[in-house]
Amino acid sequence: MKRKEALDAIKELVGDAFVVTTAGGATVEWHAVRPSDGNLQAKTLGLCSSIGLGLALGQPDRKVIVLDGDGALWMNLSSLGTIGWKQPRNLVHICMDNTVYESSGGTPTVSSARMNFAALARAAGIESAVEASTPEAFAAAVAHALGSDGPHFIWCRIEQGRANVPPFPYDELENKYRFIRFVEETTGKRIIQPPIPHSYEGTLRRAAESGSSA
Amino acid sequence: MATAEAAQRFIGALKEAGVDFVVAVPDINLLELMKALAADPDIEYTPVGREEEGIGICTGGALTGHRVAILMQNGGLLNSCNGLTTTALQFGIPILLLVYYAGDWGDNAFHMLGLVTEPVLQALDIKYQALRDPSTLAQQVRGAVTVAEASKRPVALLVTRAVL
Repeated sequence: MKRKEALDAIKELVGDAFVVTTAGGATVEWHAVRPSDGNLQAKTLGLCSSIGLGLALGQPDRKVIVLDGDGALWMNLSSLGTIGWKQPRNLVHICMDNTVYESSGGTPTVSSARMNFAALARAAGIESAVEASTPEAFAAAVAHALGSDGPHFIWCRIEQGRANVPPFPYDELENKYRFIRFVEETTGKRIIQPPIPHSYEGTLRRAAESGSSA
Repeated sequence: MATAEAAQRFIGALKEAGVDFVVAVPDINLLELMKALAADPDIEYTPVGREEEGIGICTGGALTGHRVAILMQNGGLLNSCNGLTTTALQFGIPILLLVYYAGDWGDNAFHMLGLVTEPVLQALDIKYQALRDPSTLAQQVRGAVTVAEASKRPVALLVTRAVL
């Protein structure tokens, strides 16, 4: 199974879930398959799963999908233990495993030897940890994960190679602002606070004293 | 010696500044504060295995509208440098870094950490100050959170034994 085949198989399932993708093929292919301001790219190798855990803890009533890679997960293995400890019910952690550091030229990762990431996740306390090697099995696993309490871990075993898709269209700052606006619009929260210049302090104080809004 | 009273004062300062989401890695001097944070129902608290993991978790917390902090020793600050640079700084994420200042003046442990801590923060362009006086703690925490939120960057407070 190619990564894009796997992603195509789940694009209709995710709804308005927040999706964090590890840098490289997962980011560009996912955004090509399901363009949305709810897509957040991770730039630090390994931190995708941790950013996803933070989103899941910060917004417990929303599903959060992490599209991790085998090299990235290996770099931040402690995140599996932390997810197992915190047990976020809304987190769906997917490891797209092609056994190589694809974005860095294709040298093998630990997964090219004997690693079983699903067993590792289960050992870390993530009881719902499954393996998928076909688009059908992967879609079924994601549908189950999105429809039930987690945390869930899906070890998605894919072939090497990146699909011919455009680069991710946003730099980190624009990606952040778009993502936060998506969170605001879909939760009703107000997150970005406008800076209040000192010249407004008198106006605000008088409004507060008179009991009306500024 | 860290005390439970000092820990409550510290948590009060964090709450007053709006901090409601904290991750932490232990240091013996942070023990009372970590125990109190873990027991506090108003703070989403996550103990992590490695500090850089905490930078990622704080980023997710900040993006969902929380005021976030990471509590760690300065050795952990060094462990976090890539995450601070390519996640927190590159995306512009406000995170309060509460960094226990091992190797500070008068501290006989980890003197090399003490030597490099401030130069590393300067190299990362992270604004910082030390917490040395319990009477100014709340004001300093409030000021640091204000700057982090306004600048959308991590800001560091170097935590010394005087405020623990």
